Amino acid sequence: MAGVTLRGVRKSFGRIEVIHGVDLEVADGEFVAFVGPSGCGKSTLLRLIAGLEEPSAGDLFIGGVRVNDRPPAARGIAMVFQSYALYPHMTAYQNMAFGLTLSRTDKRTIEERVRAAARLLRIEELLDRKPRDLSGGQRQRVAIGRAIVREPQVFLFDEPLSNLDAGLRVQMRLEIARLKADLRATMIYVTHDQVEAMTLADRIVVLNAGRVEQAGTPLELYHHPRNRFVAGFIGSPAMNALDVVSEGRADGAVRVWLPGGVPLEVPVDGAAPPAGTRLTLGVRPEHVGVTDGGAGLVATVTAVERLGGETHCHVALEDGQRLLVRRDGDRPVTAGERLRLNLRGETAHLFGPDGQRL
Amino acid sequence: MNAHRTPSLERQRRRAAWLFLLPMLVVLAGVAGWPLVRTVFFSFTDATLGTLDGFRGVGLDNYLWLMRDPVWWRAVWNTLLFTVVSVAVETALGLGIALILNAHLPGRGLLRAAVLIPWAIPTVVSAQMWGWMFHDLYGVVNAILLGIGLIAEPRAWTADPDLALPVVIAVDVWKSTPFMALLILAALQMLPRDLYEAARVDGVHPVKVFFRVTLPLIRPALMVAVLFRTLDALRVFDLMYVLTGNSRSTMSMSVYARQYLIDFQDVGYGSAAATVLVLVLAAATVLAVTLGRVRVDAGG
Ligand SMILES: Nc1ncnc2c1ncn2[C@@H]1O[C@H](COP(=O)(O)OP(=O)(O)OP(=O)(O)O)[C@@H](O)[C@H]1O
Ligand SMILES: [Mg+2]
Repeated sequence: MAGVTLRGVRKSFGRIEVIHGVDLEVADGEFVAFVGPSGCGKSTLLRLIAGLEEPSAGDLFIGGVRVNDRPPAARGIAMVFQSYALYPHMTAYQNMAFGLTLSRTDKRTIEERVRAAARLLRIEELLDRKPRDLSGGQRQRVAIGRAIVREPQVFLFDEPLSNLDAGLRVQMRLEIARLKADLRATMIYVTHDQVEAMTLADRIVVLNAGRVEQAGTPLELYHHPRNRFVAGFIGSPAMNALDVVSEGRADGAVRVWLPGGVPLEVPVDGAAPPAGTRLTLGVRPEHVGVTDGGAGLVATVTAVERLGGETHCHVALEDGQRLLVRRDGDRPVTAGERLRLNLRGETAHLFGPDGQRL
Repeated sequence: MNAHRTPSLERQRRRAAWLFLLPMLVVLAGVAGWPLVRTVFFSFTDATLGTLDGFRGVGLDNYLWLMRDPVWWRAVWNTLLFTVVSVAVETALGLGIALILNAHLPGRGLLRAAVLIPWAIPTVVSAQMWGWMFHDLYGVVNAILLGIGLIAEPRAWTADPDLALPVVIAVDVWKSTPFMALLILAALQMLPRDLYEAARVDGVHPVKVFFRVTLPLIRPALMVAVLFRTLDALRVFDLMYVLTGNSRSTMSMSVYARQYLIDFQDVGYGSAAATVLVLVLAAATVLAVTLGRVRVDAGG
């Protein structure tokens, strides 16, 4: 087993740089998820680690060894492609064994490894089928099996579940969680599904436009997003953003004025901005409280979305700013109703004009 | 009500379909069907070009004569040899060129266009062009080979019985390889790139990837290309006729049939030769399609 280290890794295609210097440390046996919007460079970063692309600058280490000049096969990695990339003319067994038959592993070992992987993935009875006779989920398992039989030090997954329907995706997510426990190998997992990232990963790396915005455990990212991008990206439904005005520091916290002249004290780590600075207040929909009366933000419900287990209320504040409030599934609420909202400083986040958290 | 409407709509569609097909069917029957029927019919008669109205039925006589003519068998042999060698060489060369064109080389578009030129030139024109180049006195081929000392004296490329068929095959290879290359290139470009990346991650040697992944996957397209070229080669006429005339050393079945039909004005006998050629083509097609399918199923 081995960890993966990236130092100042850059990648340009022609004159366009798409990875702008990434530093990253993935510990031995860790499960790291790369998330980010489409085109941010997740796949490119993964392919750099795999050796399918060459970095334009920077160094790459796997298991403490610099692997910049090594071909993919000599890096101790295995990759599972989004499209599965199974050889269509070979059976599941042949697909899994192909890489081994050619690396002079003896027949018995190959057979043992393929059968063991098939057992682990519960595809033993499918080994004689060709990919076209397998369902999407079964193909995905064969593709994962092909990676497992190589006994790699590092598994690389590029959006392995994105071609599956919602139900199957949940099932395969659990399977991957089980594999992670069984194999104890280092895994790097690209996804744009934040539920996958939150549930599977030990650590999440949020990428944006070729840069690492933040890397941390799922709950770290949820509770302490470093900037507005991460705050908006992690969590579903997305965090609300309100324009507020700073009133200066108040004892380890910043006091801001909410629309309608309601004050709120938000604890911050950094230096307080001067009074009058325009800031952004971030509040997750699940952290917006509703009070039955008394003080609070006055809001009008503009739309109600009932999801059964929970209800999403879209509300407008007095100055027109919009907010999403998450409430219980069967709470009676109708559009046009007036609510009083109650925000708490401890669950709110303040971001400066540059988008960084205060 | 509804139960009646659907069939009538379907009938209307059918009628429209036949209406659209009709012109094509009429033309096909006129230019292909009718001549074929006439040729088969004449092959059982003693008709000549001058007596197309007054002829007698002679049963299988024409065919029996054909089977006994060594020149005909020479033509069959020439045709088969030409077909097998030229198609094999074109397939190998076409595959090589397609692989090169499929690699991400700079100036690839230009190269692709350039490769197509021999295919775009009408066969009669390119055959005539090569005829001049292979000319024994003024040909550039002799000039070059003499110049670099590969041959001591000029060769009569198209007249020498040992050289004529190889020359014809060489010209066909020059002309038809682009067709092969393009069909194979189209198949190569359909192959997903990530299969090759998976093979790279697995550490499979590129030569092995070619034989174990690329070749099996392009085989259906390759079979179609080979079939097309084979049928084309079996009825070859213009190359031989322009380069070597009616010379026996290169005469193909088509040249033989034409010689009897036109030069000797023996329509009955020539038609018999032409009919046998059609039968050979039909047999080759059936064989290729059935064998081809069997093998595709067994392997892929
Ligand atoms: N071979 C290439 N040549 C040129 N540009 C490329 C190449 N591969 C990727 N890019 C560019 O690099 C950027 C990052 O691409 P990448 O595939 O890594 O995105 P991604 O984060 O995986 O997106 P998605 O979620 O859509 O898969 C994109 O702007 C893309 O256009
Ligand atoms: Mg991607």
